[in-house]
Amino acid sequence: MTVLKANCQKRRKTVRMSCIGKDRTNGALCKLTVLLIYSIQLKTDGDSLLKKTICLIAVAAVLTSCGNYSADEQVSQTIFAMDTYMTVTAYTDGCGTEKASAAVSECLDEIARLDKLWNVNDAQSDFARINGGGKATVSADTAELISFALDMNEKTGGALDITLLPVLREWGFTTGEYRVPDDDTLAALRENIGSDKVTLSGNTVSVQKGTMITPGAVAKGITGDIVSEIMRKNGVSSAMIDLGGNIQTVGKKPGGSYWKIGLKDPRGQGIFGTVEISDMAVVTSGGYERYFEQDGAAYWHILDPKTGRPAQSGIISATVIGGEGSLCDALSTAFFVMGEQQTEDYWRRSGGFDFVLVTDDDRVIISEGIKDRYTSNGLYGEPEVICFE
Amino acid sequence: MNKKKAQTALMIAAAAIFAAAAAVSVYQLRRTKPNTVKIISDGKVLYTLDLSRESDREIIVEYEGRRNVIVIENHDIYVREADCPDHTCIKMGKLSQSSTQIVCLPNKLMIRRAYSSEESGTDGTA
Repeated sequence: MTVLKANCQKRRKTVRMSCIGKDRTNGALCKLTVLLIYSIQLKTDGDSLLKKTICLIAVAAVLTSCGNYSADEQVSQTIFAMDTYMTVTAYTDGCGTEKASAAVSECLDEIARLDKLWNVNDAQSDFARINGGGKATVSADTAELISFALDMNEKTGGALDITLLPVLREWGFTTGEYRVPDDDTLAALRENIGSDKVTLSGNTVSVQKGTMITPGAVAKGITGDIVSEIMRKNGVSSAMIDLGGNIQTVGKKPGGSYWKIGLKDPRGQGIFGTVEISDMAVVTSGGYERYFEQDGAAYWHILDPKTGRPAQSGIISATVIGGEGSLCDALSTAFFVMGEQQTEDYWRRSGGFDFVLVTDDDRVIISEGIKDRYTSNGLYGEPEVICFE
Repeated sequence: MNKKKAQTALMIAAAAIFAAAAAVSVYQLRRTKPNTVKIISDGKVLYTLDLSRESDREIIVEYEGRRNVIVIENHDIYVREADCPDHTCIKMGKLSQSSTQIVCLPNKLMIRRAYSSEESGTDGTA
């Protein structure tokens, strides 16, 4: 009798485990299958009535308890960093809870470390030291970030620029005390814009007098890459990293399906479509992220380095999908500034990523590579697909 | 004969339990989906609420002396008052099925959907 109980107990546990990690439909199906097997077993073996009854009760208990298990076993933590909320989630499928927990805490520590290095408002940060003294020796991570940003500045014809900090401050985008600067002020500030005013030599960064740099346009993307690498190094094969709208994924979802990422509607609260991805980053730059209105006009925080004013390229949302969060982050900002035609040209020239653009006349333009994984919810109609010529 | 009768009875009982279980499964699959949101202040989860079960009420969250008044109304959640300069969180309105979060940056407040693919249809928003 005792042996039998243990046996039933063990089976019950096994059934429970197999229910975890699948969605509810599969869970219910798995339960029914298990029950069916039990019924057949009851019919064929000649055990005592009591034994059968106990097993039946056990099965019934499993059946009712299983439904209460949440869909996927995960370890998830949220941190406030880089002016946004970041949530890091590792799924335990394939690596176990212990490794997933270790990976998530390591990710959070790393995010906190990078936030300290890159926070322009923290006097001890690498950026504050560069901006304050005109020259500073910085950490390897910061040097790498600046090197990447300077490279992207060249590749995007100046559309991505890390020297916009004084202009962003003048507009109030760094503090929330918004104002529209007058033309003379902007003209004076424009003198200090330009990546040619930044020099990187080893880990030493110097900026010309009056020039100040901010990692804002690339920091979250680079963080996504670093955090994904920590996940992989810890053996996590399925993870979702949400860095305040920058999405980066490791592997596929537990169970093997693609991650479904909603794309924010630049004109409303919802989404206008979804993309299905695995092992990739999805980054969107939109005017809706930070803006203010004055005298009927909207002013957003993505500035055109050529004018020092909010970019007016005809694009109101630019999403870039690719393997590297850093590239996606830099390009989404650059495309918002560059506009439709230049974005298409850039993509044809360089490739290696895909894009989804929303224009101010409510069209959606997508690149060929994402065509089969993009689904519109009808808000802006069917997308125009751009192909390699 | 007696044993066979008992066996038949047991089979009927098994069938009955099977049918009942199937009914329970169908019920569980069809019932109102939970709509779980988290209210997070400065990285700490203050509340985890299932909006589908919440009755109307107000929640006040303070951060460094500044406050946000969060309202649960008709199974929706939104921010009604905030003493920050930009009031972005109020402008964001209700947390709808498709948007994933309401954020008040100055007060480090976030109201977000608990991540679950079955609840929102997506795994994240970019």
